[in-house]
Amino acid sequence: MPINGVTISILLFGIALLGLVLRRDLVIKLLALGLVNASTILCLVSLRARPDGAAPILGAPGESVMVDPLPHAMVLSAIVINFAILALSLVFVMLLVERYHTGDSQQIERETSKEEEP
Amino acid sequence: MRHVPLRLLLPALLLVGAFCAAVWVTFDYPGPDRHAADDWVDAARLTGAVNVVSAIYLNVRLLDTLLEVLVFSVAVLGVRFYLRERGHVETVDSIPESHVLRLSSDLLLPVILLLGIQLTAYGHLAPGGGFSGGVAAGTGLLLAAIALGADAVARRFHEGALAHLEWAVLLCALFLAAFPVAFGRPPLSDLLPPGTPGGLASGGSILLYNVLIGVKVFIGTWIMLHHFILHRGEV
Repeated sequence: MPINGVTISILLFGIALLGLVLRRDLVIKLLALGLVNASTILCLVSLRARPDGAAPILGAPGESVMVDPLPHAMVLSAIVINFAILALSLVFVMLLVERYHTGDSQQIERETSKEEEP
Repeated sequence: MRHVPLRLLLPALLLVGAFCAAVWVTFDYPGPDRHAADDWVDAARLTGAVNVVSAIYLNVRLLDTLLEVLVFSVAVLGVRFYLRERGHVETVDSIPESHVLRLSSDLLLPVILLLGIQLTAYGHLAPGGGFSGGVAAGTGLLLAAIALGADAVARRFHEGALAHLEWAVLLCALFLAAFPVAFGRPPLSDLLPPGTPGGLASGGSILLYNVLIGVKVFIGTWIMLHHFILHRGEV
């Protein structure tokens, strides 16, 4: 298997998925979500990258063959939406931590099930 | 990672395994076509913008970008709403002010703001655009908030007016997108001429959208940062 952007992004995605499912701290879960986003961006951009490719700007110096600009435009949306998701989820984590005094997702689950019981 | 229950470990391994298998199956991807960019280059030549990426996201796929800006606005609104509901908490003591920090922030802030404006204004000619320019200028304000204290920076802006301005800018962008209907053109089409490629006044409406998005992202970033600071103590 060649070592390039795509393989590195797959590795990062696997690490991030494991962190997202296995770690119990909510903030670390959010960090893992950010890593998922970063690896997806790396994958999309490097799928269309080429060693001799030029930046997608017309008339750039040393223009040989331009790389496909479509993934770049798509990735821009992904970055902005990831920023929005992270900011909003951080607020929800703040609210949860303030209410249950813990960032542990399993403990929060136990507390909420205790609240529902009576 | 300790005390990982088996009921979590198994689905996680399955998830990662399925993902790797899916990637393995698609791995003999032939690689990018040598002429993949050609269609987009033709489209960009029609818009007059030199930066093909901004020609895509501010002209050909403008609807995506407008909805993306809408998502950003909803996130800013959510942060404001939930943190305001939460109310103030006790403030943490600010970082003891150091002369070096204050002086370097005074020197750097104008440069960062200018860089943000430059990135926004030249988004159709060079790498950059409204999103990156707005975030660059907004994080410049974060630097000022660290060095001078958040209240000192907030006093220079009227928070309520800023929030109104943010929505006014969003409405302007939506109006600009819908305006061609008045001239019998399809919505999201470009009314302005392409101009000479490479000049500042080229690329049709791309410059206008870039400036609107830049202002909007700048205000949104500052509102988010300020609310996080206000309701979690000093930076």
